[in-house]
Amino acid sequence: MSHVVLEDVTKRYAGHVALAGVSVSVEQGEMLALLGPSGCGKTTLLRCVAGLTAFDSGRLTIGGVDMTGVPVRRRPIGMVFQSYALFPNLTVRGNIGFPLTVRRETKTGVAERVEEMLELVGLSEQGDRLPNQLSGGQQQRVALARALAPRPEVLLLDEPLSALDAQVRHRLRDEVRRIQHQVGITTVFVTHDQAEALAISDRVAVMNAGDIEQCAAPSEIYTAPSTRFAAGFVGNRNTLELRTSGGRVTAGGAFDVEAPWERVLCMFRPEDVSLRREGPGARALVDVTVFLGATTRVYVQAEVNGSPATVFADLPSRAAASLSPGDAVRLSVDPGHVQVFPA
Amino acid sequence: MRRRIFLGLLGLYFGLPLLAALLYSVATRWTDTPLPDGYTLDHWIGVFGKPDVTSALLRSLLLSAVVVVVDVLLVVPAAYWSVVHNPRIGSVVQTIAVIPFAVPWVVVGAGLQLVTASFAPGLFGTFWLLAAATAAIAFPFMYWAVEGSLIAAGAVRLSEAAATCGANPVQTLTRVIFPAIRGGVVSGALLVVATAMNEFALAKILVGAKFETLPIWSARQFVSRTLGDPNALAVVTIFTFGFLFALSALVVRLGRGRVSTIGRTLR
Ligand SMILES: Nc1ncnc2c1ncn2[C@@H]1O[C@H](COP(=O)(O)OP(=O)(O)OP(=O)(O)O)[C@@H](O)[C@H]1O
Ligand SMILES: [Mg+2]
Repeated sequence: MSHVVLEDVTKRYAGHVALAGVSVSVEQGEMLALLGPSGCGKTTLLRCVAGLTAFDSGRLTIGGVDMTGVPVRRRPIGMVFQSYALFPNLTVRGNIGFPLTVRRETKTGVAERVEEMLELVGLSEQGDRLPNQLSGGQQQRVALARALAPRPEVLLLDEPLSALDAQVRHRLRDEVRRIQHQVGITTVFVTHDQAEALAISDRVAVMNAGDIEQCAAPSEIYTAPSTRFAAGFVGNRNTLELRTSGGRVTAGGAFDVEAPWERVLCMFRPEDVSLRREGPGARALVDVTVFLGATTRVYVQAEVNGSPATVFADLPSRAAASLSPGDAVRLSVDPGHVQVFPA
Repeated sequence: MRRRIFLGLLGLYFGLPLLAALLYSVATRWTDTPLPDGYTLDHWIGVFGKPDVTSALLRSLLLSAVVVVVDVLLVVPAAYWSVVHNPRIGSVVQTIAVIPFAVPWVVVGAGLQLVTASFAPGLFGTFWLLAAATAAIAFPFMYWAVEGSLIAAGAVRLSEAAATCGANPVQTLTRVIFPAIRGGVVSGALLVVATAMNEFALAKILVGAKFETLPIWSARQFVSRTLGDPNALAVVTIFTFGFLFALSALVVRLGRGRVSTIGRTLR
């Protein structure tokens, strides 16, 4: 049985729907990422699990126990807030020990657990500092240690890394994953950063406008998005709006796929585009090239079914080196990697 | 430059009367000359030997202490509740907090007098009635100071964090919120003490001569048929000023570390 189960949870704010009947479950020891744009309801969903926000209808169980009427402080959860929310008057040790002392654990028990947590997050040296004497990344580690100290069943993280700069964010992201594995705790991780969600989680739930559109493994979300929103939100895709004929869509020879609608959106990732000097494919002219290191992004002006369209392709930089603006190329896309949605 | 002139004028406006009172408190005789004829500490020594002055001082200190305790115990939890749990009652409390300033304290006193006379005659004319009334008119200072520091400290977030840590409301208030807003509570308390020390109208109406506070004693120096002791009045004025000034200086010094702590956490 799943560890955390939400069934048809709805939440309305003054007529505005924040959660429109969300159902999702998280397995024991699994890390689930909630991914979606700003305002789609990620935080609201997480707060409903924590009990900080009451939902209007639906059901939530943790470990098979219905959480209706269970106050926040009695739920088996630990939470990390985007703004850390460390207690400013307590030292690092005081903060980490706080959930233990309010549960009236023995002094030695608290001290032992605090040292263990300091070790886990690598802050053994900073134990006696106050929160304002720590960097953002260190504060976030303290928040993580504080959430984990009382051995909760479920860890809830609300954009824990978004206030950090890119370098620290990447390091801490991998560290959060390591710690989560080490502790083996069921985790829900909220983020609006697709790379973060794909990198860190066992499954990703793509949210849009108060609902989950797709919930699947990162690789599946990336290669086979099931909705137009998921396809657009994950993977930075090219989008072409095209007319079909005879149940198929042919993009001027770039690809030829089945399309059971009259007008469709064809979406494909830039690394699935190939550009060749000659051969089959749509005619295109190289516009600009942007060197990104291992790959080079090449923007081309293609002629697709009689109208112009801009397409970008990510090529290995070695292959792109021979292309320069103005070159005529043939554009083709592996049809297996084209997602088609009704327009 | 203009700022200097402005500050200079302000200094004169506030400083001159104080300086005059200070000089008068150490003058032997000061009638029609620009400066006193001579100086002495006799008034300072004499005043604190006068039983009516020392007991008035003690009464005022007692009143301030009781009022400050009442206001801290009532206002901190109320402000916490209104900021963190029910912002809607915040606007009600804010309206109530304006009443003591919108209605003259003489009217408040007279009204209370009438009400207690008919509904609680046991309280009529007692110290406890005076303390309750003073606490009521001084509470807005405490409320504003506490509300401001609750918001600045991010009390909502801190309470939520404490709840997810398993803390109950009392633990949250005493271990997380109170330490984080101590600076605001202390400065609110200072304003409450200053109000209680100087409050005249309520004391005059509610208890009058039965419980002579320092302001009432001061007023008596003017209104008694034989003019009271003006030098002693000067001493008491300067003493009260010095006391409150020292108290605020202490508070500022104690609060400095804490306030900047909170400021940096917020950033
Ligand atoms: N307390 C509230 N009162 C009214 N509306 C709210 C409240 N909290 C959230 N909302 C609304 O509910 C919707 C979902 O908000 P939520 O905070 O869950 O979004 P989010 O996905 O976490 O966004 P972000 O990435 O910006 O944090 C938003 O439209 C928001 O305006
Ligand atoms: Mg959010």
